[in-house]
Amino acid sequence: MAKLSIRSVSKSYGAVSVLDDVSVEVEEGSFVVLLGPSGCGKSTLLHAVAGLNPIDSGSIVIGDRNVTNLPARERDVAMVFQSYALYPTMTVAQNIAFPLKMRGLDRRTSDEKVAGVARLLQIEPLMSRLPRELSGGQRQRVAIGRALVRDPRLFLFDEPLSNLDAALRTELRAEIKRLHQSIRRTMVYVTHDQTEALTLADKIVVLKAGRIEQTGTPLSLYDDPDNAFVAGFIGTPRMNFLKAVVVDDGKTLTVGEARVDISHLKTGLESGKTVTLGIRPEHLDEKQGVALSLAVDVTERLGSTSYVHGALPSGETVVVERREDQPRFGESITLRFQPKRARVFDEEGRRIR
Amino acid sequence: MRPAAAASDPTKHFFQPIIVCLTVASVALTLFVIWISLHDLSLMRAGREKFVGLDNYIRFLGDPRAMAALWRTVLFTVLATVIEIALGLAVVLFLDRDFAMKRLVRTLLLVPIIMTPVVVGLTWRFLFDPATGMANYLLSLGGIDQVDWLGSPRIALFSVLVADIWQWTPFVILLVMAALESAPTDPLNAARVDGAREWQVTWYVLLPMLRRALAIVALIRAIDSIKAFDLFYIMTRGGPALSTETLNYYGYIVAFTNFDISYALAIAIILTVFTNVALLTMYSVLFPKTGDR
Ligand SMILES: Nc1ncnc2c1ncn2[C@@H]1O[C@H](COP(=O)(O)OP(=O)(O)OP(=O)(O)O)[C@@H](O)[C@H]1O
Ligand SMILES: [Mg+2]
Repeated sequence: MAKLSIRSVSKSYGAVSVLDDVSVEVEEGSFVVLLGPSGCGKSTLLHAVAGLNPIDSGSIVIGDRNVTNLPARERDVAMVFQSYALYPTMTVAQNIAFPLKMRGLDRRTSDEKVAGVARLLQIEPLMSRLPRELSGGQRQRVAIGRALVRDPRLFLFDEPLSNLDAALRTELRAEIKRLHQSIRRTMVYVTHDQTEALTLADKIVVLKAGRIEQTGTPLSLYDDPDNAFVAGFIGTPRMNFLKAVVVDDGKTLTVGEARVDISHLKTGLESGKTVTLGIRPEHLDEKQGVALSLAVDVTERLGSTSYVHGALPSGETVVVERREDQPRFGESITLRFQPKRARVFDEEGRRIR
Repeated sequence: MRPAAAASDPTKHFFQPIIVCLTVASVALTLFVIWISLHDLSLMRAGREKFVGLDNYIRFLGDPRAMAALWRTVLFTVLATVIEIALGLAVVLFLDRDFAMKRLVRTLLLVPIIMTPVVVGLTWRFLFDPATGMANYLLSLGGIDQVDWLGSPRIALFSVLVADIWQWTPFVILLVMAALESAPTDPLNAARVDGAREWQVTWYVLLPMLRRALAIVALIRAIDSIKAFDLFYIMTRGGPALSTETLNYYGYIVAFTNFDISYALAIAIILTVFTNVALLTMYSVLFPKTGDR
């Protein structure tokens, strides 16, 4: 059990900068999720923490040891690889037992631990198969098993549930959560899946093109995003972004015909400036507030609520979460939102508070 | 292809005659060779051969020169294959890192392979010349006594072995290197994270992954070594005192020096059968049918 500090880590492949001054503090025993679009450097960061590819600058501290120059073997981390990285010539049982064997654990204890993990991951019938005789999801579970069988200072998971069916994914997600709560090991977890991120994380780090966009609790990223990228990346369906113009000495925005009061913002804005107004789909279905009219295109029914896709008079497309009615194609409905729920971003996408 | 089309596929009129010709030719030739080996055809007594049954094969078993040649072939094949594989693998593992002149080294590795055996043999004959050769010069620098590389019956076979290793280890290196490069690297990284030392990564993860490639290279090298002729012909001609005469070379002597064609063909057939048995055994050990553990 240890805290992890990633301090101004940079890494580039030739001229391409893959990690650019990345700093993350992971408190002892906490669960951090790295979130970001494909190719943003999540795996690279995990590999750097594990000691598998050297970093160009910065340092990595696990517990009170600076491990920047230590080989992977001495860092005492367990990792689930995005590619599973199972040993192709070993059976499932040998795969899971390998880290124990490398630590010189005696056969009986090792067998017991392997059996325990196999039970947890429901792979007992597969124990004598080779990796190539397994399905993708089964391989993934073996890879998870190989990490869980150990008791490392730090767990690194690189999209460990991406290939599982919905039921198994939910089950293993809960299992990882339970495991984390019972052993309280520090965990770093990469995922694309928002539900995973929001349910598991104590802290989320949003990466984009090798830079950290924002770090915070799931709720703070959702409620109080630092920029349009984070606002758009967190939450499904995505936040709606509308063009708006500042009028009235910075006290009001106009969105088409509608006028939005922004006098609560501390930063003054010049009249005539163009900004972006971000409103989440679930905040567009209020009883009172600023009104926009929407020409309905499609309605997705999800049971208790539905997502209505449509266009504003300006042509901008908008998604709304509607609770009461299910408008049809061609209808025109009125959306209402509270100005305080809307987020304002400048032209570079930075948040204006 | 539709199932019905298989029967009426017109292209069969093109390939079937070729297959028939090839089959007939090779079967007929083999049968002819076996037939001759059952006679006592000799160019010294042309036209007076008669059927002798298995006499040539029985003669082989009682021929000490043939038995010694067979033993030498086994020794040479085993040593050449084992050393070339071990050395090649060691070089590959050592070269498996990025360094400035990797491409140049690779190109240089091709040189021994593309050189004709005649040039290789002559080059090594010069190097091993007891009076003027580089090998003895190097020994003298280290203050070691001169060695009669190709003239001493106890050493000559190993001198040819050195030349063979020099020529063919690069071939092993290139094939194993290709296998290594197409092997996934993540399992190696996983082993490092799991606490394996570098030699353990190599031993437990990398080598098992390369096993198939190594087995195939070993098979190729073993077959080539059994049939080796050119280096022996150029470097020693089977001498001194028959100390480098392999079965293949002995067969050549029997046929073209003694003109004892039937016996030479019997030797060729024994060599073929022997090779096939040895290689099939090797193959079934390396690639067991049930599973692939
Ligand atoms: N060996 C390499 N050489 C050059 N570029 C590389 C190398 N490995 C990764 N990259 C680049 O680094 C960037 C980050 O890759 P990385 O694998 O960390 O992405 P990721 O965030 O894990 O993406 P994904 O979600 O798709 O797994 C990518 O743009 C990739 O093209
Ligand atoms: Mg990745």
